[in-house]
Parts: sequence; structure tokens; C-alpha cells
Amino acid sequence: MLKPRQMSRLFIAASKDQMEPVIQELYRHGVFHIEEFTDQAKEEYEGFRIGMPLAGASEVSSDLLTIRSLTAAYMVKADDEDPGTRRRTSEIRSLIERDLPVIEKETEGLTTMRSRFETEGKDLEQKIAALKPFAEIPVDLELLRGYESLAVFAGPIAHDVTLEIPHEHFYSPSKAGNFIVIIVPVEYRSQVEKVLGDAMFQQVQVPGETGPASVAISSYQLQIISVTEQIAANTAKLEENRKKYAGFLLACDELLTTDVSKAEAPLRFATTDQSFVAEGWVPVDEVAGLTEAINRVTKEKCYITEIPVDLEHDVVPMEYDNPSFSRPAQLIMDTYSRPRYTEIDPTLIIAFVFPLFFGLILGDVGYGLVLLVLSLVLRRYIKRGDGAQLVNLLTIFAISTIIFGILFSEFLGFKLPWEPLIFSRHMNIGTTHGEGAAIPGLLVMSIWIGILYITLGRLLGIINHARMDHGGHRMKAVLANVGWILLMWGLLSMIWSAFPIPFMPDLTVLPPIIAGLNIAALTGAVMLVLGILFIARDNPTEIVEIPSIISHILSFARLVAVGLSSVAIAMVVNLIAIGMIIEPQLQNFTPVSIIIILVGVLVFIVGHIGNGVLGLIGGGLQSLRLQYVEFFTKFYKGGGIKYNPFGMIRRFTED
Amino acid sequence: MPAEIVAAITDIELMKASQIGMKGIAAALAVGLTGLGTGVAEMAIGSAAVGATAENKDIFGLALLFTVIPETIVIFGLVVALLVLFS
Repeated sequence: MLKPRQMSRLFIAASKDQMEPVIQELYRHGVFHIEEFTDQAKEEYEGFRIGMPLAGASEVSSDLLTIRSLTAAYMVKADDEDPGTRRRTSEIRSLIERDLPVIEKETEGLTTMRSRFETEGKDLEQKIAALKPFAEIPVDLELLRGYESLAVFAGPIAHDVTLEIPHEHFYSPSKAGNFIVIIVPVEYRSQVEKVLGDAMFQQVQVPGETGPASVAISSYQLQIISVTEQIAANTAKLEENRKKYAGFLLACDELLTTDVSKAEAPLRFATTDQSFVAEGWVPVDEVAGLTEAINRVTKEKCYITEIPVDLEHDVVPMEYDNPSFSRPAQLIMDTYSRPRYTEIDPTLIIAFVFPLFFGLILGDVGYGLVLLVLSLVLRRYIKRGDGAQLVNLLTIFAISTIIFGILFSEFLGFKLPWEPLIFSRHMNIGTTHGEGAAIPGLLVMSIWIGILYITLGRLLGIINHARMDHGGHRMKAVLANVGWILLMWGLLSMIWSAFPIPFMPDLTVLPPIIAGLNIAALTGAVMLVLGILFIARDNPTEIVEIPSIISHILSFARLVAVGLSSVAIAMVVNLIAIGMIIEPQLQNFTPVSIIIILVGVLVFIVGHIGNGVLGLIGGGLQSLRLQYVEFFTKFYKGGGIKYNPFGMIRRFTED
Repeated sequence: MPAEIVAAITDIELMKASQIGMKGIAAALAVGLTGLGTGVAEMAIGSAAVGATAENKDIFGLALLFTVIPETIVIFGLVVALLVLFS
């Protein structure tokens, strides 16, 4: 809890003939995060070089390339396929030899044919497009070309023209563009060109077909239909093959990916002519199992030892170690930046507080139920990966929203049959009587949340600095964080001693000691000065950040403000839809009323959908921002490396 | 009741009502203007932040942090508005 999974640094050295079994074993266990060897590494690695891939790597790579091109052609994705029964690797290896060339050839044939059909279809469409304007001209196409003594003008034009010379003239006006064909003796060509040019004429080529254009068009249309049928047949065949081969292709992909990463593992090791060294990180509880397995396969011919971890210089990969319900919060953490190995992992805190803030903002049983249904529906379609975690997050949000809805006694802006158990958020919208929202109470509650949450952030900051900093800076940094806490609470104590604030300690009642100041004000002043001193000692420029104490605390007022605005919109929607549209119609019911009532229902539904979406986005983003900006800036460093062990989770194959 | 007193009471009631109205306007101005201020300030930061995030996804957290810095302005406006309305 609040700690990453503890890691050990493992050092493996052996002669090169043991490399392959060691790699196999490391891969099988899938717990070894390889620390890559680079040529310019430390001096104790003098004389070592980066290793060469195992034999056969290039053949496997080229096979994998084929498989990848096939999966791309069939658009097969591992995430969309149900693994079903796993295939045995030995079986797949023999099938790759035998079936892969056949499948490749078949697929290539199908895709070539498909692209040929598609080109053919496009050609036909172009021909039809060229013929279309001539369809309105009552002359066969061969009569429009091939003259020596006549000039033929055909093309789109802005408007009709009249010519004073002997000519043939066809004009077809249409919305898409007017079309004109003019045939004149060749000696008038330049004269006609001028007239046509004035009317924005553009010459087009007369198509090479014979007979009337409309006949040619319909013949081409028939051809298009046949091409479309062929494309459909081709698609069906591809789809059929896809079904037939998807599982096999994915299994091959998985197997070959495994082979390639095993074969290329030596590229990450340090080697000499006769030996190799692999360094990496293994979770503490996996060390014994892995060591024993490697010793067994190499018959103890391998030197394995744990190297002490140097937290100051080593970059230790970070793997979360949290209960499963906090998985969605890990996604939130990774979006910001993964925690470093040495710092506190705040995932668990986020897992509680993020949904809490969301519920506090949206807090409505109606919207909560809608979100719950939405998340349950999405759960059916999104089963894996980050998307699934987002769906989980949505479910948690929905539950939190319902709980706060019960506390606030809200259902789509209406009041539930009980009084709000905490502060009321029901405003006087549409009525002039009623208590109205308990705004001062809500505001003070949000401020309290801010004060406590920021104090928690600073406390975590103290721990982080104590753990991660070294030398003289460590004490200064820790004291600076103490200074921030002193400053904040000192300021609060002074404010409390001067003004009575509801729901906060009233320190004005204490007797004054000196110059009208009471003990709380004096203590507050001392804390404030001490705080500023501590902060300035660490970094004097931080002094300009002091007003951020107030802005960060007040920032938590958004918990109330965004929530109240969402309640207000819901109540306004109810007022318009029910109070102003539906109710008056029910009182004076006429046949027309039915339509107006339906309009009212529509307003109700659209209004609440809009408000629900706004509430989801607003509530989510605002509470996320409070984590990232107001909370994380107090202690969080981030920038940790993801623990990425050598090996993969196999879904389609087994040994 | 003499007419002058009635007139005086009506005047006081009118004054009270207009004071409430003025409070409403003050609160609206406080939130509205600070909202505009925040919007103007976030405009440039936001577009730069989106651009930077598109280049390098890792700085999303930092980009978001920069983008929301001006939100403080509207929060202050909101607090002023609430204080005007409810104190």
C-alpha cells in the first residue's frame, strides 16, 4: 500500500552456450525486466559488447512480416478475437511450414483481384461521368468527332449563345451546369471561340463511344453492377477466409513474436566472445523461483546473484502494487506520469478521493442510475485494455453519484421524499418560498476538504523528500514542506481569531492578550513567520508562491460551484418542461395539448441528457484537475519507468 | 396610517428590493467578467498545450497544469459572488 512492488536487481552470467536455455527460462517466467546494456556503460563492463541475435532470427522475422501483412489484409485484431482453445506451438510450427505459403498465395490472389475490380469500377464511373452531359444531346457520338472541315465545340458553359454564322447548335440547361455542343465550319473557329470564351465555355473531349450517349451510359451501368457483384463476392470470400484463418494467424503472430523477441534478447545483453551477462529487475518474491528454474535448466552452470540496490543512482522500474479496485486509478496516474520507485505511490488515495469528488459534484440519484446503466452496457462491448478500466471508473463514479444523490436528496433536480442528509442543494428556482440551498455550509465544507487534502499532500511531500533527497538539501526540503503546513494553519488560525465562520472553530471568543490579539492570533502569526522562514531557507523564489495557498484552497470551491450549476440546470429544465409546458396543458386539456405535452417531454429528455453529459465531463475533469493541480503539485514527482518484464502473456498458444 | 408613513415604508421596501437586484448584478459581474478573463488567458495556453501534447504525450499532466492555472481567477470571482449574495 502506497508502495510499489519491491524489486531486486539480478545479475546473471554464464558461458554463451547457456544463453538460449537462460533466455527461454526468463521468457517463460515473464518477470525479468532487462536492464539494457549499452556500449558506453560503466567501466566494470570494459571489453563487453552488445550481443548478436540467436541463429534463425532473420528467418523468423521475415515469417512474422508475412503474418503481419496477412493480419493487416484481413484486418484481424487480437483484441477483437476470442482466443477459444489454445493451439499447441509444435502444431503451429508445422502448420506455418505447410499452410502459410498457401494462405499467402490465396490472399494475394484475392486482394489483387479486389484492387483490379475496384480500378475497373472507378474507370467505368469516370466514363459515365464524361458521357453524362452528352446524354441530353440528340446526336450519336460518332457524329460529333472526326471532321476535317468542321470544328466541334462541346463543354459546360455559363449561358446559351447565339451565333450569326451557319452552325449546328445543341444546348441543354440544367442545375448542375449548362452544356453546349456547337458545330461550325472550321474557318469560323476563332470567331466562335471568342464568343464562347465570353460565356465561360470550357472545351471537353467528345467520348470515343458510338451511338447515343444514353445507350453507352446504360451499358456501362450494367457493367458496374456486375463489377459490384464481383466485389461483393470477393468481400464474402475474404470474410470467409478471415473467419477461417483469424485464429491461426493470431496464434502464428503470437508464436513468432515470442520467437523474435527471444532471438533478439542478446541485443540487450553484454557479451564477450565466450560469455554473456544479463542484468535486470525482478520482483523480490519472484527471485527464488526464477533462480531455481535457471539453475535447473543450466545444470548449475550459471552464476546468478542479487546485487544490492542503490536507490540514489539506480533507475528502478516501477510496478503498481495495489488492490484490484484501484486499477482505474492506475490509469489516471499513468496519464499524468508513473510514480518513481522511491516515492509514495498515491494511487490508493486517488482511487478513493477521485470518485468521492465526482459524486460530490454530480450527486444525483437519477444521473447516477443513468451512468450505471451506461457503464453496464459499455461493459459488454469493451472488455480489455484501458477502455475497460475507464468503464470500471464509470461504474465507480455512478455508485458514488447515487450515494451522494441520496445524501443530497436529489433525483434529476427533484427532491426525493426525504430532507437532504447533508447540506441542501435545492435552490429556489420556480418558487419564491422554501429554504434554498445551504450555500455557506456547502462552501465551508469544500474549503475544509481543500485544507485537509492539501495538508495531506504536504505531509506526503515531507515523506517523499525525506526518502528521495540526500545531503543538506534533504532537511531543507523537508522543513520547507513543514513550513507550508505551518503557513497555512497559521493563516487559518489568524483568520479564525478575527472572524467567526460557520462550521469552523470560532476563536474570537478567546480573551485578548496583547494589543487586542488573542492566543490563537499570536500562535498563528508565529506559525506564519516560521513557515515563511522555512520556505525561504529552501528556495527564496518560492516566496512569490505564497498566495497560492489561498488560491489552491479556494479552488476546492469548484466542488460546490460546478455541482450547484448542474443542480440549477436540472431544476430549470424541470421548470420549463413541467411547470411551463406540461402543467398548464393538463389544467386546460384540449386535443392540441397532447402535442404540446410531447414537446414538453422532449424538452425534459434533451435537457437532462445535455445536463448529464455536462455533469459527467465537468465532474470528471474538475475532480481530476483537483488531483493533478492542487494535490500532486504538493508532493508528486513522477517520471518513473514502467516495469516491463521480458515475456508476454500468451492468449492463443501454449507449449 | 398617515399617507407620508405609508409612502416612506414603500420607499424603504423599494430600496431593499433594488439592493437585492444590485447584489445580483454584482455577483453576475464578478463571475461573468472573471470567467471571460480566465477564458482569454486559457485560450493561448490551451492551444499551445494541445500542440505540445500532440508532439509528446508524456507531458499531458504538465500541459493540463499549465492550462488550468488561470482558473484561479474565476474561482476568486465565484467566491466574491457567493460572498456578495449570501453575506
